[in-house]
Amino acid sequence: MEKLLTIKFVTWIGRALLLCLLAAALPAGKAQAQPAEPEMVAITHPATSEQAIPRATLRAIFGMLLQKWPNNTAVRVFVLRDDAPEHATFSKSVLQVFPHQLRLAWDRQVFSGQGQYPEQLASTQEILSRVASTPGAMGYVKASEVDHNVRVLQVR
Amino acid sequence: MSVYSKFARAASGMAMVAVLSLSPGGARAIDFLDGDLQLHGFFSLTLVNTSDNNFFGQSDDQISSEYSEVGANASWRLTPDVQLSAQLLSHRAGGTDDGGVRLDYGLLDWTMASSEEGRSGVRVGRIKTAYGLYNKTRDVPFTRPSIILPQSIYFDRTRNLTVSADGGEVYLERYYEAGSLSGSLALGQPQTDTDAATVALVGLNPPGHLDAKLAPDFQVMYEGSGGRYRLGFTALHLDLRYKPGYADRLGAGRFKLTPLIFSAQYNAENWSLTSEYASRRISVKDFGPFFYNGDALGESYYLQATYRLAPKWEALLRYDVYYADKGDRNGQDFAAATGMPGFTRYAKDWTLGVRFDVTPQFMLRAEAHQVDGTGFLAVQDNPNAQALRRYWDSFMLLGSFRF
Repeated sequence: MEKLLTIKFVTWIGRALLLCLLAAALPAGKAQAQPAEPEMVAITHPATSEQAIPRATLRAIFGMLLQKWPNNTAVRVFVLRDDAPEHATFSKSVLQVFPHQLRLAWDRQVFSGQGQYPEQLASTQEILSRVASTPGAMGYVKASEVDHNVRVLQVR
Repeated sequence: MSVYSKFARAASGMAMVAVLSLSPGGARAIDFLDGDLQLHGFFSLTLVNTSDNNFFGQSDDQISSEYSEVGANASWRLTPDVQLSAQLLSHRAGGTDDGGVRLDYGLLDWTMASSEEGRSGVRVGRIKTAYGLYNKTRDVPFTRPSIILPQSIYFDRTRNLTVSADGGEVYLERYYEAGSLSGSLALGQPQTDTDAATVALVGLNPPGHLDAKLAPDFQVMYEGSGGRYRLGFTALHLDLRYKPGYADRLGAGRFKLTPLIFSAQYNAENWSLTSEYASRRISVKDFGPFFYNGDALGESYYLQATYRLAPKWEALLRYDVYYADKGDRNGQDFAAATGMPGFTRYAKDWTLGVRFDVTPQFMLRAEAHQVDGTGFLAVQDNPNAQALRRYWDSFMLLGSFRF
């Protein structure tokens, strides 16, 4: 009898918890005010032969599918955290892929043995310096941050 | 009494996971050789409670903590064209899997041709089986839409047959302005060496074992507008032979299974709609008078909606339907022939779930199921078919950590 009550109680707690979770999540879903988004550009190491590449190819590179440049140099991809505003802007406006879709695509490849994650850096400044010093590197920064040590890759 | 202790043990396990993942620096991916060698992994624990019947352990009016998944993988990019990868997996699932560590995949991936427009190559070794949208990472909770995948297509009962296969695969990818097209054709030996695979097909305590022929597996997938919509088709053919054991009541029978899966998904910024339809032709013969021989066309489909309530919150609603035999949907003919309940031949599952990403490395999920039919339940957890109940509910809680 006591056991039965315990079970009923635990089941009830479970159901109640689900409702609470749903209720807690709903107000959190309200959209936050968006600040103006800076223009993001794809950058590469200056020795990269490409001046402009198709958007589809850029997606394949940031999707960790394409691993080398036509001259056989290995591609190295640098990104920010998933929740960084610059990552979201670059994903959505340049790649035209939602950041959570990109994450899922990486996860699917890494956990089936078909690919690897890009390297995650802390800031666009760090991306700028790593891209400048790594042959075959690929990353993104705000258009206003671009310096002469990297090349902006146009999307055609 | 045992409910208390099980619950306490499971809860303390989850608390440990939470502490580990929240501790600073504890949740880093491990990279060596400039990122060419990467180590990743995950572990998760699910608590299952059912109103009737058992799912993933003794869950009927109890809480089962016998569903856990632990995996660790390494990948090493030797050159831009060659990658070696392997993953060890412990998958514990009630009476169907004891959690013994297995090689989930171990393969060499060689990109033989690559250009701006696409790439193609081969994979050899133990390769994950392409099967619908979710199968390749079916045991990795972060890649699933829910705690359990829709059972009508991603059976956990017979998972070992489609989890991975030993052999080779050729793949091709093309990147177009409108979207990307990828295809793969694999030929491999499915894993039939575990008890779980045999029991799921021939019943409890089989004296014999199953042998599989090399199985062809074909998949083609189109991803439009950067993954906004995904359309896929999978065809798999399994040919299994039963080698009877000593004093076996069963004959040298043969199973032929040919599932065809059509997949479609639409992804908006805050919501996704996913549906898959599977037609499964099954031919069973030569098992003798003590078995349900015959041909059947199984049918499965689900419709699933997920909504991102906030960056860390996601809700899910799904309706999932399974028929073992399209020509005998309610199982009447089966019941008449075997004396077993007809509702063991179908299952209609309404699922409501919520996901909360506490951190990018730690995820919590809760899920409620309301099910009519017992078609996807495992006989190991429910040995007496006459004791099964047609209508049953289940509630699950999952905690999962990854690095």
